[in-house]
Order: sequence, then structure tokens, then C-alpha cells
Amino acid sequence: MKEQNTMAVEALKLIREGEEEGRKLIEEAKERAAKLIKDAEEEVDRIKEKAREDAKNLAVQISDKYAKKGKEEESAIMKKAMAEVENLKSIAESNIDPAVNRVLEKILGLV
Amino acid sequence: MGAREIVERIKEEAVSEREKIISVAEKKADELIKEATAQVELQKKRVIDAEERKGVEELERMIRAARLNARKLRWAAEVEMIAKTLEEAMKRIKEVKTSGFKGNSYSAILAGLIRDATRSLTAGSSTSSGSDLEVILSEEDAPFITPDMLKNIADEISAEGVNIHLSLSDKRIKSAGGVIVRSKDGKVEVNNAFEQRLARFSANLREDIVKTLFKRG
Repeated sequence: MKEQNTMAVEALKLIREGEEEGRKLIEEAKERAAKLIKDAEEEVDRIKEKAREDAKNLAVQISDKYAKKGKEEESAIMKKAMAEVENLKSIAESNIDPAVNRVLEKILGLV
Repeated sequence: MGAREIVERIKEEAVSEREKIISVAEKKADELIKEATAQVELQKKRVIDAEERKGVEELERMIRAARLNARKLRWAAEVEMIAKTLEEAMKRIKEVKTSGFKGNSYSAILAGLIRDATRSLTAGSSTSSGSDLEVILSEEDAPFITPDMLKNIADEISAEGVNIHLSLSDKRIKSAGGVIVRSKDGKVEVNNAFEQRLARFSANLREDIVKTLFKRG
């Protein structure tokens, strides 16, 4: 009888230890799961922060690209305009005498 | 079932539960990252679209400004050349006074201006009423007009129906040249001084100058 009691106590002890071990396993799993979620949330924060930085850089890059293109276009337009102006002035210089005569005709009352 | 079997079963269940908990957490973590990545990609696309639009607008603004500046440059060149032409014309008046212009002596030119001014002043006057007019010249131009010339002009216009008397005023105008013809009482006048004529014909003259100056070939 005493031996039987001793065996029963041993069995209960084994079961309790098994339960304790199982509880620990689940507890650890819950902790690991919480860490996985926390790490993921931190990763999300990093992704978003990086995206904000990338967006800023991207905005600057795009703005610079168009500003550069704008400067090039502006430069080409002004270069062409200056050449046209030079040409206009040259044409005007060659026509200044008839233009002066036209003015004189008008102010002298000859037309 | 023995105690050992019970313990094994408890452990198996715990392991299974552990695997389930971790698997759910891994799935959720994976979803969080995937969702954030998708959100970020969408945001990136929006930023690119918005910045591209802004960039194109800025580029177009720069092109418009450059074209406007180019037009201003051409316009400034035109203005400069017109001013040069007018300045040259005013300078040439001195030459006209000594050498005439296109076969017309300066006296004849002044006479023409007096004739035009007189006709303007007498236009619409009745034939019965006479007009007593005076001619005002600059000190430099006074020697170019004689009383005989004025009488001839007056006779010529009087022959058209209005009795005119023209006399040379003692008054002098400060002008590069030209004449003022006015009634003796000073109530009406036609100012044919060159500066006034230039101002009066300015708009048309500018058009003429531009056409002549910038004619190609």
C-alpha cells in the first residue's frame, strides 16, 4: 500500500513537471510571438522612416532634373534670341538710312 | 494510460500550441511588413507623380519666362533701333537746313509746312471772313522764310476761297525746326514744330520705321 502511494505521488509529480514544462513552452512561445510582432512593428517604422527619407531625396532629384532641363531650355531660348537680336540689329543697321529718310519725309511734311 | 504517457501527451500538446502561437505571430509580422511595404510603394508612386507634375509645371514656367525674356530682348532691340533712327533723323535736320532733302530746299520745306498748317486752320471757314495768321519760327529758321514767301502762300490759299493774311511773328520758338501757325489772337494754332510732328505721328512712324528697318533682303 505504501509502495502504491509512493508510485502515485511520483506519477503526480511527473505529471506536474510535465505540465510545468508545457506551461513554460507556451509562455516562451507567447514571449517569442510578442517579440516577433514588436520586431515587425519596428521594421514597419524603419520602412516608413526610410520611405520618408527616400521620398525627400526623390523629390529633390526630380526637382533638380526639371530645374536642370529648364536651365538648358532657357539657355537655348536665350542663345537663339540673342542671335536673332544680333541679326535684327545687323538688318536694322543696313536699313537705317531709308528708315531715317522715312521719318524725315513725315516730319518735314513731304508725304 | 501511465504517467509517462500523460506527460508525453502534455508536452506534445504544449509543443503544438507553441508552434501555433509562433506561426500566427510570424504570419501577422509578415503581413504587417507586407502591408507597410505596399503602403510605402504606393506613397512613393504618389510622390513621384506629384513631383513629376510639379517638375513639368516648373519646366513650363521656366520656358514661358525664357520666351518672354527673349521677346523682351527682341523688343528692346527694336526700341533701341527705333530710338536710334529717330535720333539720327533729328540730327539730319541740321544737314537738311544746309543741303535740303530729296531735292527740296529747307525754305521750300518750311513753306510747305506753313501751307499745310494754314489750310488746316482755314478749313471750314466761310469765304467772306478773312483770317489774319502769324507764323512763328525758331531763331535759326527765321532767315529761311521771307515776307514775300508768306505773301505767295497767302495768295495761293486765298485763291482757293478764303482770304488769308500771313505775317512773320517776332516771337521765336525753341525747336529743332518747323513752324507754328496761329491766329493773331492766339486762339487757334497748328503746331508744325518737328518735335510736335514727331510726337503726333509717333505711332504710325514707329510702324513705318519697324517695317523699313527690319525689312529682310
